[in-house]
Amino acid sequence: MKKIRVGGAVASVAVVALGLSACGGSAEPASEGPVTGDVRVWVVGGDTPEEARAFLKSTFEEQNPGSTLTIEEQAWDGLVDKYTTALSGSDAPDVVEIGNTQAAAFTSAGYFAEITGEQFEELGGDDLLPGFVEAGDWEGVHYALPYYSGSRVVFYSEQVLGGTEVPSTLDEYVATASSLKTADRSGIYWPGQDWYNALPFIWENGGFIAEPKDDGTWEAGFSSEGGLAGLEQIQEAFNTSNAPKDGQETDLQVPFCEGKVAFLSAPSWIQWGIKAEEDAEVPGCLATYGSDLKAFPLPGKDGGAAQVFAGGSNIAVAKNSPNPELAYKALQIMLSDEYQTMIAATGLIPAKVSLAGQVPQDDPIAAAGVEAAKTARLTPASPKWADVEAAGILQAAFTKIAAGQDVETIAKDLDTEIEKILNS
Amino acid sequence: MSAVESRTVQAGLGIRPQAGPARTSGRGGPARRVGDVVWGLVAVAVFAMSAFPVYWMINTSFLPNSAIRGEDIAFFPTPDLFTMRNYVSVITDESRAAFTPAMWNSIWVTTLTVFLAMILGFLASLALTRFKFKGRRTFILLILVVQMLPGEAMFISLFRIIDSWHMLNTVIGLVLVYLAGVLPFTIWTLRGFVNGVPAELEEAAMIDGCTKAGAFWRVTFPLLAPGLVATGVFALIQAWNEFILALIIMSRPESMTLPIWLRTFQQANEATNWGAMMAGSTLVALPVVIFFLFVQGRMTGGLVSGAVKG
Amino acid sequence: MTTSFLDAPAPASPPPTRRSSRPPRRRKPVLPWLLLSATLVVLGVFTGYPIVRLVVMSFQEYERAQLMGTPAEWVGFDNYVSILTDLDGFWTVLLRSFVVMVICVVLTMVIGTLLALLMMRLGKGLRVLVSVGLLLAWAMPPLSATIVWGWIFDTEYGIVNNLLTRITGDRWFGHSWLLDPLTFFMILVIIVVWGAVPFVAFTMYAGLTQIPGEVIEAAQLDGASALQRFRLVQIPYVSGIITVLIVLSMIWDLRLFTQVFALQTIGGDREATNTIGVYIFQTGMAQGHYGVAGAIGVIFVFIMMGLSSYYVRRTVQEEEL
Repeated sequence: MKKIRVGGAVASVAVVALGLSACGGSAEPASEGPVTGDVRVWVVGGDTPEEARAFLKSTFEEQNPGSTLTIEEQAWDGLVDKYTTALSGSDAPDVVEIGNTQAAAFTSAGYFAEITGEQFEELGGDDLLPGFVEAGDWEGVHYALPYYSGSRVVFYSEQVLGGTEVPSTLDEYVATASSLKTADRSGIYWPGQDWYNALPFIWENGGFIAEPKDDGTWEAGFSSEGGLAGLEQIQEAFNTSNAPKDGQETDLQVPFCEGKVAFLSAPSWIQWGIKAEEDAEVPGCLATYGSDLKAFPLPGKDGGAAQVFAGGSNIAVAKNSPNPELAYKALQIMLSDEYQTMIAATGLIPAKVSLAGQVPQDDPIAAAGVEAAKTARLTPASPKWADVEAAGILQAAFTKIAAGQDVETIAKDLDTEIEKILNS
Repeated sequence: MSAVESRTVQAGLGIRPQAGPARTSGRGGPARRVGDVVWGLVAVAVFAMSAFPVYWMINTSFLPNSAIRGEDIAFFPTPDLFTMRNYVSVITDESRAAFTPAMWNSIWVTTLTVFLAMILGFLASLALTRFKFKGRRTFILLILVVQMLPGEAMFISLFRIIDSWHMLNTVIGLVLVYLAGVLPFTIWTLRGFVNGVPAELEEAAMIDGCTKAGAFWRVTFPLLAPGLVATGVFALIQAWNEFILALIIMSRPESMTLPIWLRTFQQANEATNWGAMMAGSTLVALPVVIFFLFVQGRMTGGLVSGAVKG
Repeated sequence: MTTSFLDAPAPASPPPTRRSSRPPRRRKPVLPWLLLSATLVVLGVFTGYPIVRLVVMSFQEYERAQLMGTPAEWVGFDNYVSILTDLDGFWTVLLRSFVVMVICVVLTMVIGTLLALLMMRLGKGLRVLVSVGLLLAWAMPPLSATIVWGWIFDTEYGIVNNLLTRITGDRWFGHSWLLDPLTFFMILVIIVVWGAVPFVAFTMYAGLTQIPGEVIEAAQLDGASALQRFRLVQIPYVSGIITVLIVLSMIWDLRLFTQVFALQTIGGDREATNTIGVYIFQTGMAQGHYGVAGAIGVIFVFIMMGLSSYYVRRTVQEEEL
């Protein structure tokens, strides 16, 4: 293994030194036979289950003899920076996953290969999640298609809650959390940087993130009347949390498994972390607080499910993919019913509306996820929105709110920042 | 990126345990002795403060998560706590990023960068010290100014050049970029060393029948060894530690260098595993620290011989 | 600068033989250029060309789309105007970078000098002990160092919060040091100074040991106190070294990148803690405004050159002899 690596490095040095650039060798069409090559698929984070990864690789290699498929996992942190250069280069990956809110930054700049109307129909057409299709369109052309969606649900364990009733409105949710909070127990466990959890409060209180005005410029709405009301309530909710005020949404299962959390609002796949065995590599608490894990969709201001943030991913073929045809075939597999069913099995909402039933209905947590997804909303549809996220200003603002600073000042500053980026 | 980490070399040159410090008078006397004790305590405190983070890093890397996250502080990985698990998991866990290829990439990138920087820097410093020619002054000035450029603003252009040559994700692509980064400083430093070797030595050798090149090779070059070591350390540190350019140029998991590998722990979505992060930090830092301790003595010896001082 | 180090200890009286022997002989100019050729190619391609591109891009609207081949539009001085009128962005970041730089340089120089003086006083054993400690700090890669300091100040499990809880009796667990920009910079300064002091200490020590013992003795006989000896004898002797150290530290600390970047990943408010290097990176690589980032780069170069012009001019004069 080591030897081979070293040899490879030396060889590449030698090749370059001789001026024989190693470009595109693998993608060279071999006279008449089918195109072969190595297709690189970039998935982000751990949402894509192992089973689906294995299925993708084996199916692809079966269908395309002589070709291989490599899955390379990327981190969400710094993703936009990395894609900006990596996808524009000659050694670009073939198929990439991208956060739905980040897609516009790349579709608008020509980073993805066009998906023709015919291909679109072939891949699912109108069956594909509409909000996510829209997120991957640019000027009427499809570039990035839905991959999966996942809305957040609120986890709890009755061992912690005791006899307390599950709240049915947003105000009740905060009030219940407040009554359950002790020095050692969080009502709502909410690390300050986790801004996705904040959006429902804004929307439910009648606020908005940013909207286009008549003259085409964007107006941010955190300092609007509804926005401020939302932020006030967010601050109230933060007060019931013992989570680090500047914390990120990592390690969520740890405090939960210590029994120090009443409510945990998180993506539905967090359940696997909590329900892991105590002695697993990343330990969970199957025997204790994981044993009666339950979830409900975040309640709205007037009951029912709140409008939550529709998190999720899109998927696209890179414009500079060395093997566009093979890449498309990989994309086909990833949007196939079989593959998407595996995604659904983890509790994520699959890319196709018709497969929503595949999300295990007997599993109350997954059901809560489906319920929450029905009213889910997206972030502003601007190609520059990804830059707002990349700049980290939302994290910063909510960190300050968590720390108890003045809401109105923060809202005004935040709106100024957002408008500056969106209108630049 | 050029000048940032260059603290290294300079100080390497600095340590010269020459002629004892000016501690000439005032032996004995109780006041003096009390003073010695005080200074001794201060010295121990200084040592503790500068070494603490290194100690803490190593300590944590051998502790299990339960001890790291406990409310009691474990100041030492006692036998009941001691674990190699952090190291085993960071080295063998292939799900995130593999350690071994990253290590080999780092070793190759560093070795080649140092090697090429030494050769090119040496030739250039010869030109600048042993010859007088039109353009020399301009060149020296440029070498100086280049070190003030904000590297971050040029990343994108560097990426585009390497990309257009289809050298992304190759060791040599990264080496070329690093080479350009370290060369100005390398030349600058080596020039000082070559300057320090009197040209008369060569002339004397030439009188004895050596050719110009032979005189240089046999007389001057050996005297430059400490200078080459010192400069080499700079290039080495630079190539070993750099990670932003590596992040941009090496986008494939198998072409990562160690600092990028370490950064994947910082970015992990699932857990801030401090034990693993400390084990990773230790693995990245260890070779440099060992190398430093090793080379330090060599350089000191070379400098004491007085060759460079002239 | 190295020249200065090696020769500087006695700047007033460099060995006369060397000065006279040094003038390089006149030669046909082919050989030197041959020796320089490889260097010129490397620097020309990987430094010269990027500089030209930097300047060109600074007058263009150059964004992500341009990376994918869309032709760039010329916008004249628009980028410069938008930067120079951006009080909350560029100017704040610049001011912040300067404040951090000044604090770091002052602390590094003062502590470094004090440690050098301490090492002068110590016996061999203790001196080695101090040297080893400093060497460890110095050899730590900045990325590793930043992560380790981040761990020491960790919000939940860090040893600092733990000890503070024990000592004060208040509950410090959960106190975030990186959240408040002020304490963020306090930690940043600790990391930078911790890593930079060894260099200054070693160099100052080397310089101080070069002062002939007789000079100090003479001063002592004249009844000079320790402080007077330091101010009137030792400082002037090493003033050359001090100048170089200050100039270098200023350049390095203004160009801080790794430590800020890695510390922001651990925690903290990016917007309120950016320094100039990270700001350029954020604007360019992260947000894709390469034209604007280029313009910031150009402005920054001018600032750096202004700062170091004295040093550069002096060096060039020495060069001409």
